[in-house]
Amino acid sequence: MIRNRISLVCVLTLLVQQMAFAQQASGDFMRSIGRIYVVVAVILIIFFGIVLFLIYLDRKLTKLENQIKENE
Amino acid sequence: MIRQSWWKILAVVLLVYTFTAGMLVPLKPGIADVSPRALQAGTDVEMTITGYNSYYTKAKSDLRAWLKLKGDVVLKATSIEVVDDRTLKLVFKLPAYLPSDSKDDVCSLILDSPVDGAIVLPEGIALTQDSVNLAEGSKLWSVDKMDQLNAGPELTFPYRSVLYETIRNQYFHVPLWFAMLFLFIFSVGFSIRYLRKFDPDADQRALALTRAGFIFGLLGLVTGAIWAKFAWGAYWSWDVKQNMTAVALLIYAAYFILRGAFQDEEKKARLAAVYNIFAFAALIPLIFVIPRLTDSLHPGNGGNPAFGSDDLDNTMRMVFYPAGIGWTLLGFWIAAVSYRIDKLQNKLLDA
Repeated sequence: MIRNRISLVCVLTLLVQQMAFAQQASGDFMRSIGRIYVVVAVILIIFFGIVLFLIYLDRKLTKLENQIKENE
Repeated sequence: MIRQSWWKILAVVLLVYTFTAGMLVPLKPGIADVSPRALQAGTDVEMTITGYNSYYTKAKSDLRAWLKLKGDVVLKATSIEVVDDRTLKLVFKLPAYLPSDSKDDVCSLILDSPVDGAIVLPEGIALTQDSVNLAEGSKLWSVDKMDQLNAGPELTFPYRSVLYETIRNQYFHVPLWFAMLFLFIFSVGFSIRYLRKFDPDADQRALALTRAGFIFGLLGLVTGAIWAKFAWGAYWSWDVKQNMTAVALLIYAAYFILRGAFQDEEKKARLAAVYNIFAFAALIPLIFVIPRLTDSLHPGNGGNPAFGSDDLDNTMRMVFYPAGIGWTLLGFWIAAVSYRIDKLQNKLLDA
């Protein structure tokens, strides 16, 4: 469980670093069209955050399913 | 099914509304740039205006523009040439003297259009004169009058320089904190219940709510950093609210570490409940009290005015409040699913 959590945090930090790097490389892009891509980035971060939590729950459920199988 | 999960349906409906209205309602037309920004009295100046969300070609000959000094003294533009929807060329014939008792002054630019409404660029233009003559200047500047300004389009979000479209983050970044706070409040409620009745179910609920709240807090911190990069210039400005929320989230992170440190279920639950109350007691001063005591870049803290009528107008409120409720309900949904999985897991372990 803890290992899963650590890997989740790793993935999250990597994602943020990636986005940060992408933005530094293309600051003009982020500032174009009234900086609308800042809003897009914010929405994407929230989306990926929720997806990561979904993956965490999915793994938990898989373990439970395996346990049920073993018990049978 | 509807009776049980009406609040989940409500969450989806409110969030769909938040995304559509929050993204589709246009910004109010504004002035993005003016050049030149420094004018000399006694000269004819051609000024180029760059608009934002403006429709100058639709308004054409009905466009009017003024330079406005303190005390409602105005100078009307003598000619306005429409280049395209976003570009205007104005000509001002500046009188030899300013209605001012100093050599330098600042003025605002006001542009009025029946399509876009009246737009003000406050104090954005510097004026200079070689010699001061207040009486003559006042006389020269009192010829023109500014009257019958048009109202702009009704359904718009405020136009703010620096922020521009990122004002929409108000519906995505800010409600995350709302949701986090509500989740933590309910979580601490269940922790108190656990300590009174030693009901393991209350501890499980507190855990799920804290987990969901923590996720929302982390997302709030990251989205805030992105927004800060393009509004304040850096991901992390060591702003007091940024720092204090980071501290609060670290305190909450320790809650999960604490739980992992105990094997005995009862001991774990009891300590976690006590710690949760402590964490909540630290959270409130950290995010609500300390940022208000010192200067902060965040609105509503320190010397900064709260989101006033310029930042959060009635059109924004129509999206902002449903967004707050929608994201909060989504947080509770996430907590509920995670609680139910925990419950199943415990049942399996007991069996």
